[in-house]
Amino acid sequence: MNIRPFQFFLWISLTLLAASPVRAQQNPPPDAATKNAVDEDEYAVAKIYDPLESFNRAMFKFNDGLYDYVFRPVSTGYVMVVPAPARRGLGNFFSNLRFPIRFVNSLLQGKLKRAGLETEKFVVNTLAGLGGFIRASDGVPALTDVPSEDLGQTLGVWGIHKGPYLVLPVFGPGSARDTVGLVGDYFLNPLHWDQLRNVDGHRWWWDTALQATDSINSLPGLLKLYDDEKKAALDPYVSVRSAYIQYRDAAVQQ
Amino acid sequence: MRFVRLILIFIASFTAFAAVAATPAADPLQVLRGAVDEVLGIVYSGKTQTQSFSVLVRPVLEKNFSFDLITRRAVGPGWRQFTPAQQAKTTALFTELVIHTYADRFEVGAQPGITYAAPVELSRNKRELPTTIDYAGKKYSVAYRMELVADQWRVCDVIIEGVSMISNYRAQFDPMFQRGGAAEIMRSLEEKITQVSTAK
Repeated sequence: MNIRPFQFFLWISLTLLAASPVRAQQNPPPDAATKNAVDEDEYAVAKIYDPLESFNRAMFKFNDGLYDYVFRPVSTGYVMVVPAPARRGLGNFFSNLRFPIRFVNSLLQGKLKRAGLETEKFVVNTLAGLGGFIRASDGVPALTDVPSEDLGQTLGVWGIHKGPYLVLPVFGPGSARDTVGLVGDYFLNPLHWDQLRNVDGHRWWWDTALQATDSINSLPGLLKLYDDEKKAALDPYVSVRSAYIQYRDAAVQQ
Repeated sequence: MRFVRLILIFIASFTAFAAVAATPAADPLQVLRGAVDEVLGIVYSGKTQTQSFSVLVRPVLEKNFSFDLITRRAVGPGWRQFTPAQQAKTTALFTELVIHTYADRFEVGAQPGITYAAPVELSRNKRELPTTIDYAGKKYSVAYRMELVADQWRVCDVIIEGVSMISNYRAQFDPMFQRGGAAEIMRSLEEKITQVSTAK
């Protein structure tokens, strides 16, 4: 298992976390206005800790080029070759496989009921959904809307500051806290457990092919989200940063 | 006898009229459902072959969104330094951009499934209406903030996966206003609108 890039990010993130101010600069809720405030004061500008802005902006530009010249052609080709039902099935399969991430993090946050629902969902989708390819859990009302947990959220629930905003090459927007989370979740993902090694006739590229399929399969959806955000933005860097921070804050609150 | 009947009819009609007049504005969930159904009806009607989504959905959005409130809140306290003419122009430009980018999010294909949860009362005149959109095998949470504006429930913010549209634009407008005031905001909006219109 090659974890060198992750070790690098872990090191960077921990250093940045240590250097960040102790007091959290949370997004004020949109309705934080005083009772008699006029309309214009209804929404305060969220203060985002971005001491690495020039590095982040350069990375943002780099990723933008990467998405346009590498990821987009791959994604377009993939969509042409693989029909929508197959893409959806694969998406369901890899999402079901990430069950340990959601289960362990629900437990780490003390959300026992959620951990139970996640287990139920995994069993239903694996058994009734042909190994996870069909989201059979949609037929069970209690399982249709279980908020997904990850390590970045767990650290947030534990009161750890999100640290500086950080745009990672390839991965895109993040924070120091979420980068540490990403590394932890990497080890909780069965795709990285080398389980295929026990199968007869195992070849080294089987794992790589599986991991690549997971990444490529999620590309069209991710690029659509990114494009929508960028298309609507007057300043794409500020817009994506604001969206990312709001999105993660909301996920921690859930 | 006929006179008494006439008086009774008059009283009955007056009471009915008074009851209608005193009825509070329609339920916000009803208003939202109506607007969403209308938009989906337009997008998936097949008419869009000849006209762009933004042209077709504009009347529905203008009727159901309070673009006046959305714009002034997105700009923030700097709004008070805008002249009335600048305020009107900025509102018109921002409305144009929001409608364009909203319409751009639709793709011809499978119609999304929408489920509505119970509205949350934020204050007497404000509600948050959570919905879940099931589209192309993925689920997205979309909440609509609605407010009673001149006796009409209107959408004043859309929060997609926790991301508020107003907060997002507020973050972008703020540095622009500090840099060049109202003129800079209007210039940037005009530039963006030209960009999204020519990209079609």
